[in-house]
Amino acid sequence: MKTIVSAALVAASLFAIPASAANLVLYISQPNEDAQATVDGFMAANPDIKVDWVRDGTPKIIAKLQAEIQAGNPVADILLIADMVTLERLKEDGKLLAYKSPEAAQYDAALYDADGYYYSTKLITTGIMYNTSAGMKPTSWKDLTKPEAKGLVTMPSPLASGAALIHAQTLAAVPGLGWDFYKSLAENGAIAAGGNGAVLKSVASGEKAYGMVVDYLPIREKAKGAPVEFVFPSEGVSAVTEPVGILASSKNAEAAKKFVDYVLSEKGQEGFLKLGYIPARNGMKVPEGFPARDTIKVLPINAADALKNSDQDLKTFSGIYGSN
Amino acid sequence: MHGYVRTGNSQPAWLFPFVVITVLILSVLPLARLAMVGIAAFANGGVIDVLSAPSLWSATYYTIVTSVLGTMISLVIGCLFAFLLTLTDIRGKGPLSFFFVLPMMIPPQVTALAWVQMSGPSSPLLKALAIAPPLGSPQPLYSVGGIALLYGVQHAPLVYLALRAGLMTLPRDGVEAARLSGASSFRVFRDIILPLSLPGIIAGAAISFVSCTGNFGIPAILGIPASIFTLPTLIFTKFSAFTSRTFGDVAVLSAIIAMISVAGLMIQDRALRGRDYRVIGLSGASAAFELGAWRFLFTPVLWAILFFMLAAPFFALVAGALVPAYGVPLNFKTMSLHAFEEILFRQAVTRTAFVNSISLAGATAACLLVVTVLAAYMLTRRKDAASRIIASLIEIPYSLPGIVMAVAFILVFAAPIPLLHVSLYGTIWIILIAYFSSFFAVSLKPVVSAFHQLDPALEEAARLSGAGFFRRLFDIIVPLIAPAAGASVILVFLIACNELTISALLWSAGTQTLGVAIYNLDDSGSSDFASALSVLVVLMVVVMMLLLELLAKRLPKGVVPWRN
Repeated sequence: MKTIVSAALVAASLFAIPASAANLVLYISQPNEDAQATVDGFMAANPDIKVDWVRDGTPKIIAKLQAEIQAGNPVADILLIADMVTLERLKEDGKLLAYKSPEAAQYDAALYDADGYYYSTKLITTGIMYNTSAGMKPTSWKDLTKPEAKGLVTMPSPLASGAALIHAQTLAAVPGLGWDFYKSLAENGAIAAGGNGAVLKSVASGEKAYGMVVDYLPIREKAKGAPVEFVFPSEGVSAVTEPVGILASSKNAEAAKKFVDYVLSEKGQEGFLKLGYIPARNGMKVPEGFPARDTIKVLPINAADALKNSDQDLKTFSGIYGSN
Repeated sequence: MHGYVRTGNSQPAWLFPFVVITVLILSVLPLARLAMVGIAAFANGGVIDVLSAPSLWSATYYTIVTSVLGTMISLVIGCLFAFLLTLTDIRGKGPLSFFFVLPMMIPPQVTALAWVQMSGPSSPLLKALAIAPPLGSPQPLYSVGGIALLYGVQHAPLVYLALRAGLMTLPRDGVEAARLSGASSFRVFRDIILPLSLPGIIAGAAISFVSCTGNFGIPAILGIPASIFTLPTLIFTKFSAFTSRTFGDVAVLSAIIAMISVAGLMIQDRALRGRDYRVIGLSGASAAFELGAWRFLFTPVLWAILFFMLAAPFFALVAGALVPAYGVPLNFKTMSLHAFEEILFRQAVTRTAFVNSISLAGATAACLLVVTVLAAYMLTRRKDAASRIIASLIEIPYSLPGIVMAVAFILVFAAPIPLLHVSLYGTIWIILIAYFSSFFAVSLKPVVSAFHQLDPALEEAARLSGAGFFRRLFDIIVPLIAPAAGASVILVFLIACNELTISALLWSAGTQTLGVAIYNLDDSGSSDFASALSVLVVLMVVVMMLLLELLAKRLPKGVVPWRN
């Protein structure tokens, strides 16, 4: 018997299975390329820290985290996800660690948690993208309910994207839009499936002509030559701020704090700027292709209400769009 | 084990308990846990909620519809290839067979991705040829028909292999007698060959149906954008809206998938019951038919099917990896290797995924081989009820969809293991154990059939000369079953390397497999990276299959699935 066990162990050791999670584990909702660039930038500044990262849409990554917490084995040290509302909920559940970053002085007080549980890293707005061969050039949200856009509109699902949930909650609170706007979109044949990446693909490739989408994707693709345009609709845009937070269960809190400092630092913010995001830090430029920051009309959202209503709002949305 | 009389083969006393414990851990424990959680969910009244959800019934409906249609398509294509390549003198059998089995070895999400790149207004391939459909045309594959079509393509090789095995053993004298009595080729086919090949066809249909019901990669890429959910993708989305009830819900959903698969297998049983297919005479109906002038019809048809199944999607995949941005037509000016650069030199996940998939597959194949050799020894040496029960317990996890096993293992290992206080959930080990469980049967089959062909006299002689169990094992048995063992290792390795269904639910930071990496890249909107990685995976699979092909001459007949 012993021989067998040792034989099996030898066989297993031949294929030395890499242990997961060497140092820091980051759960992130940026696209792979950006996530890798962010991590590479951090590791260049802190060569002694290794970062493993996982990318998925915010709701999915939080679900993964919740499942791990329930199993008593949360893997992540740091979250860098779409919106403050999600992190506020984790803070209330006592899942986050408070850390007062010295970098916070350079940020607008509305952009971070006063107790230091989470800090915004960038400004991501959701507007309208359209394929350049589309017949109508939309300028407002309402344009998407016109007959010209029938069956040609797509949007991310709040089940897959954190920004999409905030977006729906923001528009739902705007007088003249509200859930009725989402209902008339659905009547106009709009679909909601997948994340922002799926919307980009579908509009850039011409399966659909119009899409609600986060700003940096189409602006970046347009620069690469894709046949798309992005507009900030006249009613205003919703915004998420992609905050970063440290999990209370983290065994590498010191390294995690360094990561928080890095993404808030001028260097880290410049990295985001290069990737095409609007940095959250004061006094930074906006990326190529964006209007000046003060000309973008950001619609307000009440974080406390958003948090309280998010389950109900998800149900409302799913009810209109028949997804589960 | 009362009443068990030791036969002439002395087995070490630990062998039987060892195999039993292994089977308990790999099959009984996870399935029992799944049943318990499911029953608990029922008992807590949660069942009303689960069963009254419209999403559940629409997912069940879509699962059955796509699987039935997919099975039909795979039957048509698989039977056509099996009959033509086994019974006629068509030329180029070797390459045709090799290429036809290839789709089975390619991860389903890669197949789906390739087909999506091949059709619809977004196709870089069609855009390059300037025949892409106009703006706003829906992607035709995002539909029930699209899912079924790809199921058919993905599983046709399963039908082909199952039917071929049957056709190889057709009695030649029956065919010849009919011929001599002046029956036409069509009559011979209809009255002799078709009835005798029914078991193979039905077995192929059953395997294909079960694989369809559990497939995750294809409906994930083709179904979710059109809000068509099958049970496996519904389970996956349940995990992305995690609540305290999720575990109970997915246990119930898994049970429904398991029931559909078992129903499929029972229909197969019923279809074959009460018929006797034993035949006498020479077998091996090789080239029973001469095609003659029909060759000019069938050869191009087969190659055309292969072109659409393999070549066109692969070129589309390459095109999808070379476009600089979505919607840009591909030509020599716009072509860019950026995606390959990013995947090969910048994305850490690529290396992680290759290392994980290859080491998981290697460890699964090697460790299973050790267990398999011992289990096969025991199963073939003691022919009692206990060994028959064990054999079927090993078979169950393989015949259930991977997603069901994945859910079962999450339930078992979600909580820390008692006594050891470590939790496997979120580590690479839970994926490894799930692989052990799911691929045990794959590993066992070739080894058991090799054991059946061993002459017991050899081992008897060694035993009389006083050789101990391990001495006999290493000096006599292992060398004799080595070819089959090698085949078992390679098959398990290939299947495990391309697996997505299990790892889609079990992956975590640093434990992504290739399947997961491809799916996530596509999901984040980077389908150019997903295509680039897929191209690398396809090349890897082809290289492995070519290696098997080169080894085939040294392996026993029937080990390399696509060879005569």
